[in-house]
Amino acid sequence: MTAAKLFRHETILAALTVIAMIVLASLSDKFFTAENLLNQGRLMAEVGLISLAMTFVIVTGGIDLSVGSILGLTAILLGVFWKNLGLPLPAAILLAMVCGTFAGFVNGLIITRFSVPPLIATLATLALYRGLAEGISEARSVRGYPEWFFFFGQGEVLGVPFQLWVLGIATAIAAVILGLTPFGRATYATGANEVAARFSGIRVNAAKLWIYTASGFCAALAAVIFVSRVTTTRSDMGTGLELDAITAVVLGGTSIFGGRGTIIGTALGLILIQALKNGLALSGVKGDGTIVVIGLVLIGAILVGALFDRNRGG
Amino acid sequence: MRADEIGAAAAVGAALPIELRGISKSFAGITVVNSVSFDMRPGEVHALMGENGAGKSTLIKIMAGLYQPDAGEILVNGNAVRFASPKEAHAAGIATVHQELLLFPELTVAENIFLGQTPKTALGTIDWTAMRRRARQLLEELDSGDLDIDQKVVHLSVGNRQRIEIARALAQDARVLIMDEPTAALAEQDVQRLMSIVRRLRKRGVAIVYVSHRMPEIFALADRVTVLRDGNLAGAKPVPEVDEPTLVSMMVGRSIDRLYPAKQGKDGDTILELAGVAHRSVVQDISFKLHRGEILGLAGLVGSGRTETALTIFGVTPATAGQILIDGKPAIIASPGQARDLGIAYVPEDRAHQGLIRPQTIEDNIALANLRRLTRGLFVDAAKVAAEARGAIARFGIRARGPEQPVRQLSGGNQQKVVLAKWLATNPRILIMDEPTRGIDVGAKAEIHQLMRKLAGEGMAILMISSELPEVLGMSDRVLVMNGGRIVGQFDKEHATAEAVGTVMTRSYTREQAA
Repeated sequence: MTAAKLFRHETILAALTVIAMIVLASLSDKFFTAENLLNQGRLMAEVGLISLAMTFVIVTGGIDLSVGSILGLTAILLGVFWKNLGLPLPAAILLAMVCGTFAGFVNGLIITRFSVPPLIATLATLALYRGLAEGISEARSVRGYPEWFFFFGQGEVLGVPFQLWVLGIATAIAAVILGLTPFGRATYATGANEVAARFSGIRVNAAKLWIYTASGFCAALAAVIFVSRVTTTRSDMGTGLELDAITAVVLGGTSIFGGRGTIIGTALGLILIQALKNGLALSGVKGDGTIVVIGLVLIGAILVGALFDRNRGG
Repeated sequence: MRADEIGAAAAVGAALPIELRGISKSFAGITVVNSVSFDMRPGEVHALMGENGAGKSTLIKIMAGLYQPDAGEILVNGNAVRFASPKEAHAAGIATVHQELLLFPELTVAENIFLGQTPKTALGTIDWTAMRRRARQLLEELDSGDLDIDQKVVHLSVGNRQRIEIARALAQDARVLIMDEPTAALAEQDVQRLMSIVRRLRKRGVAIVYVSHRMPEIFALADRVTVLRDGNLAGAKPVPEVDEPTLVSMMVGRSIDRLYPAKQGKDGDTILELAGVAHRSVVQDISFKLHRGEILGLAGLVGSGRTETALTIFGVTPATAGQILIDGKPAIIASPGQARDLGIAYVPEDRAHQGLIRPQTIEDNIALANLRRLTRGLFVDAAKVAAEARGAIARFGIRARGPEQPVRQLSGGNQQKVVLAKWLATNPRILIMDEPTRGIDVGAKAEIHQLMRKLAGEGMAILMISSELPEVLGMSDRVLVMNGGRIVGQFDKEHATAEAVGTVMTRSYTREQAA
């Protein structure tokens, strides 16, 4: 019975995705080919990784606007550590990811220690991290990475893009953590009623700190894949990515007020958006038209969700 | 003469401001109101009583247009009506003063009273002069001329906000006023004031549906009383024809012989000791001992530091001075999690805000404080969680469809039982209960009292905070009295009389005297 309730939004979304796929496939014969779909999976990975952590963030009732900037900062640091400081590339990658993860940890610290609303805290660090990235890069881009590095963004394992494996495994782990572990319970409880969660002995602040740190880590991981895919590092990388991630999460049925949402929903939201973007482009719809369609789908999904919510009553 | 007129009017069904005939309503297949008839005469106070879950809330929500009945009819002035929305009920002269007051905190008193029907000038702008004049006039009529109509509502007390809601109902020309537990959150002097306002309204011919658990108010105010039990009409009688035991047995369907169960067994060793504990300057120099098998009552007025003391023991606001000893060993309690692991449980005063996650299910709520025990390997054991909840539902007699019902759908008494079940599942040795029976009907109240006695008999140490003096005196083996953030008195069971405790509670101390 709970499962039926939980999956209601996801079921609608899955149906919607299937319908969209069929329509898009009928509009262009290039859409529903293994090659195109796998390539779309490749493009989806970066936003996808960020959306997973964003689901946790939004389920706690928070938001993380700084993820795009963390991606940019991590990318720049990777390039600077390798090219300017002369570190070996593996060490540069690792160190840059540590910095990105730390940026997320700082978000969590500001939010939990000083009780700054997440929207304000991450709006500030959105500017801060992007500013750092631009300052450090001095508007120069870094190129000339060795061939092996491009495996993360362009390589394949068993015919499937490497980053799609990463996204798949990360999705499974996130779904298990949110759905089945005590930490997942604590996440939902925090979002639904933070005071009651604290009064029940849940370590609310610790949970939030972990979640914002994980958000930083996911953005950093996405940064490495991004740089590897496009073979170059620029300071404006990942601009606006936070909004794509939030769109996928909300489309996936996660309540922006916290306390409700699933990883499966987010994954479906992600797939639907990517399918629309690609399919409409292939069918000859211009970029602006695609954005309009995505906006309409988002509004539609939220209206349908609200309708079910009302019927559920209380 | 007047009575005859009303009787005649009732006979033809005309002129009654509202009449319900054979109303039924069910949710998800469960009938919560079953063929109930109820009517209101102009200028009467009609008490609506019943245990939590008896169907009172549903019935008044039907009158207020929030729910539509499945069967039966509603008549206003003898004409059958159907309220599709609360707005239509308002238009028919039916207003509600809600338990949780629905005012706009950032607007002024006058604005709140006239919200949605603001007086307009010829130009269509707000006629501030007229609005303020009429607001003042309305408040005068309610004997509330002391309220500043230009003040923002956010600064006002619950009692004052309530008077504004009543004024708002009058501004809408309400002929039926539904008051849902109006005194539940009021201090004693505000209760008196509210009762005098209700009498004034009655004189003006307003019909008042008065929902309350408090017997003294019913006998002081009401003309008639209707009792619901399990969704059925248990009876409707003029108040002079009933007494308290009759009403109680009508409500619970049996007679409750003893209000407060007697002590079982003897006190054991000291389990919790506070030595000079303080939290900032909120509570200071708190020292007492709590023994196994004992119910220690903590009395005091609202704001005297009782809850703050509990929160300090429970680690929500950790102690800033002094020492807490458990089993004679000093303990550092910096978070509720630590307190729980030391065997302390706290059932908070504010169920909705602190005690429960209302959108979540019964099983999820009970599991929340017990996640470690209910986890196998890395994963929460869903089967164990459900079994735990089913056990609690059976043990505490929680009236629910099952472990997967969201807690917000339960009545107040059943919600309180869920909070209790959650904390007793942690196997505590020290149980702190803050206002354990606030807003709970007599039946559930007696059950909770009996449960407390039983737990104490099994060796649990219970610290009970209550604003109801009879409860404190009836349940406690010992009574501590707090005043101004300090403990100012201690009484044995024999010496704890209402006068003695009440005097110490209300005496005004200067800081020096208290020290």
